[in-house]
Amino acid sequence: MSWAQAILLARGLSRGWGGICGAALMGPPFSQVSLQVPRGLHCSAAAHSSDLWLVPPPPPPPRGPTRALAPHEELFRQASDGVRDKANFVRAVQAFGQHNVHKRGHVDFIYLALRKMREYGVERDLAVYNLLLDVFPKEVFRPRSIFQSIFIHYPRQQECGIAVLEQMESHGLMPNKETEFLLIQIFGRKSYPMLKFVRMKLWFSRFKNINPFPVPRDLPQDPVDLATLGLRHIEPNLSARVTVYQMPSSRDSEGAADAPEPHIVGIQTPDQQAALARHNPARPIFVEGPFSLWLRDKCVYYHILRADLLPPEEREVEEIPEEWNLYYPMQLDLDYGRSAWDDYEFDIHKVEEGPIFAICMAGAHDQATLAKWIQGLQETNPALAQIPVVFCLAGSTGELLATSSGLEEPPPPPPEGQEEEEDNQQRQQQGQS
Amino acid sequence: MALVHKFLSGTYIFRKCLKPTVASCPILGTRFADYCSSSLQKPVAAPGKNSSQRNTEGDLQGHHQREVALDITSPGEKPEFSFDKAIKDEIKDHCRRLKDDIVNYWRGPEGRPLHEVLMEQAKVVWQFRGKEDLDKWIVTSDKTIGGRSEVFLKMGKNNQSALLYGTLSSEAPKDGESGRSGYCAMISRIPRGPFERKRSYDWSQFNTLYLRVRGDGRPWMVNIREDTDLIQRKNQMYSYFMFTRGGPYWQEVKIPFSKFFFSNQGRIRDAQYQLLLDKISSVGFTLADKVDGPFFLEIDFIGVFTDPAHTEEFAYENSPELNPRLFK
Repeated sequence: MSWAQAILLARGLSRGWGGICGAALMGPPFSQVSLQVPRGLHCSAAAHSSDLWLVPPPPPPPRGPTRALAPHEELFRQASDGVRDKANFVRAVQAFGQHNVHKRGHVDFIYLALRKMREYGVERDLAVYNLLLDVFPKEVFRPRSIFQSIFIHYPRQQECGIAVLEQMESHGLMPNKETEFLLIQIFGRKSYPMLKFVRMKLWFSRFKNINPFPVPRDLPQDPVDLATLGLRHIEPNLSARVTVYQMPSSRDSEGAADAPEPHIVGIQTPDQQAALARHNPARPIFVEGPFSLWLRDKCVYYHILRADLLPPEEREVEEIPEEWNLYYPMQLDLDYGRSAWDDYEFDIHKVEEGPIFAICMAGAHDQATLAKWIQGLQETNPALAQIPVVFCLAGSTGELLATSSGLEEPPPPPPEGQEEEEDNQQRQQQGQS
Repeated sequence: MALVHKFLSGTYIFRKCLKPTVASCPILGTRFADYCSSSLQKPVAAPGKNSSQRNTEGDLQGHHQREVALDITSPGEKPEFSFDKAIKDEIKDHCRRLKDDIVNYWRGPEGRPLHEVLMEQAKVVWQFRGKEDLDKWIVTSDKTIGGRSEVFLKMGKNNQSALLYGTLSSEAPKDGESGRSGYCAMISRIPRGPFERKRSYDWSQFNTLYLRVRGDGRPWMVNIREDTDLIQRKNQMYSYFMFTRGGPYWQEVKIPFSKFFFSNQGRIRDAQYQLLLDKISSVGFTLADKVDGPFFLEIDFIGVFTDPAHTEEFAYENSPELNPRLFK
């Protein structure tokens, strides 16, 4: 073997080892870009294009219009019969074992199955992953001597096992005892897949409950339930009341003349109700939106009803009369000098914004729907009839619009259709109704 | 103990300034590889060489500060500048900063009197009240490796907050080696002293990171990088998760520094140690939650403070199964 070939082989081997050691570690549950992607997964040791080739490789054959089939893809074709669900996937995986006892090409088959899982909708099913690990022949890849355990025994198979665990990790699945038993049976206790399994157990159990605002994994399909969940998620005050102003009506099969009514769900706390009752009718209040809220992987949009911040001279300071509570003073004016070591406040003026009176989620984002919401709000807030309501509806850019100067610049990428109108007719409507 | 360290490093600064080495040629801007942190793969355009040119670039690019790309020359007009004048201005600016630095050193750490620094319990590190505050941050996305995510940073409503927004796309780049993709990040620039000397933050008195943000319900990751002055630690960082609630109310996120776990090259390591706070280089936010779609994060300010109720030193134990050598 010439020295060039030896160098290439050594380089390929070392890259392969580095690939295994890198992939066996835990990526964070959100996939960050790992700067050294394990290269050994899909290409063999010597066929790396960035190497210095002594002999230039032959030009690649011209690719035909159709993609070449992966080795065992026909197993997925015949088993599916058009319907892609868990039963068909399981059947395809089991068909592989029946065809050849020696399970030749099981590594490629497992990679293919990992890619196909998303189409069949089983990527979050732990039993399917265990079934996939079951495809490996048992007891063959366990190292039997010290030398075998020092040099990575069957590196391609270990990489494949790590790839299965890595896909489990990226979907947030916790492996169970069956996975552990399978891994020990296939690779032995000192292997890299087993190491990754131990790390997964450790870090997943550490990070299981760190979300202070957990969202259930199975989101409700009904839009009204989803809107209720979203509104309760946004509003920290537990005494808030959720009201459904309009249920979604399904389209009639005869082609009814009415447009389908979108759902309107609103939320308001008693404090907000009181603040709205106290609001000065001379100042307008704004309906702004839509803003986006992500629940797991679903995006819902909400609108808010808010007022501008009062300038400092108009803000009224609430005076509590001294005899309000005879047991203890409600307001203490003690002037103890607090020196710097006791001061936990930040030396910055926090952003202050005007009060928010209500939030709603609706199926449509146009003014007619939101007007219905305002009308519904009027039932619990009669003061709303006297207050002018201004609709500032923009494209969903996710920022609150500027108040005093209007929009300074057009918000970024999606072009927005902004409408802003005084509504005296709104007031008349409210006066009449 | 941090103050003693400051005195030592202060004298070290003195010695270093007196003999400028070839390695740090600030004016010619040949420190590309040194300046950009390892998460960027394209070098940031050299700051300060022609400050006038940069200003025109900034105006032409519009109101939002896009991802910092390579040198974009303005299409039509030639900004008039003179090379010698720019260099002289630069030297004067750096010498003035050096003089301020020396004077501040005698006044106290970072120019503030010692008693004020010692008794400080809450400190605002980054605030977003003007355009110049946005210049202290760099935004990146997986466009650098060929992905499709976009991210922009601009001032929010009434110049009172910063808005980081964009679109995340987890479509993997077709370069044959990346299996997954889809991330956006906002990283603070490394603080620089006179003659572009790297400096670091010293937060050893504080124990909690405080953020006042308004998000859209997506989970973010907060990363802290330590200073790479003496030892090369370019790929190492400490991270933790920040869960935004979404909604129109401002959210206060308090993350104690004991919760940050250590990771190297994007993977959590087995041997965990607590984050040491005396040489912090930069803080960053990353979004990589594998959900495609638009996102936004509005930040009011970022500060550090001492939470007197938090007494934990480090949240993660090392396990003897993963690290037998630590337990011998």
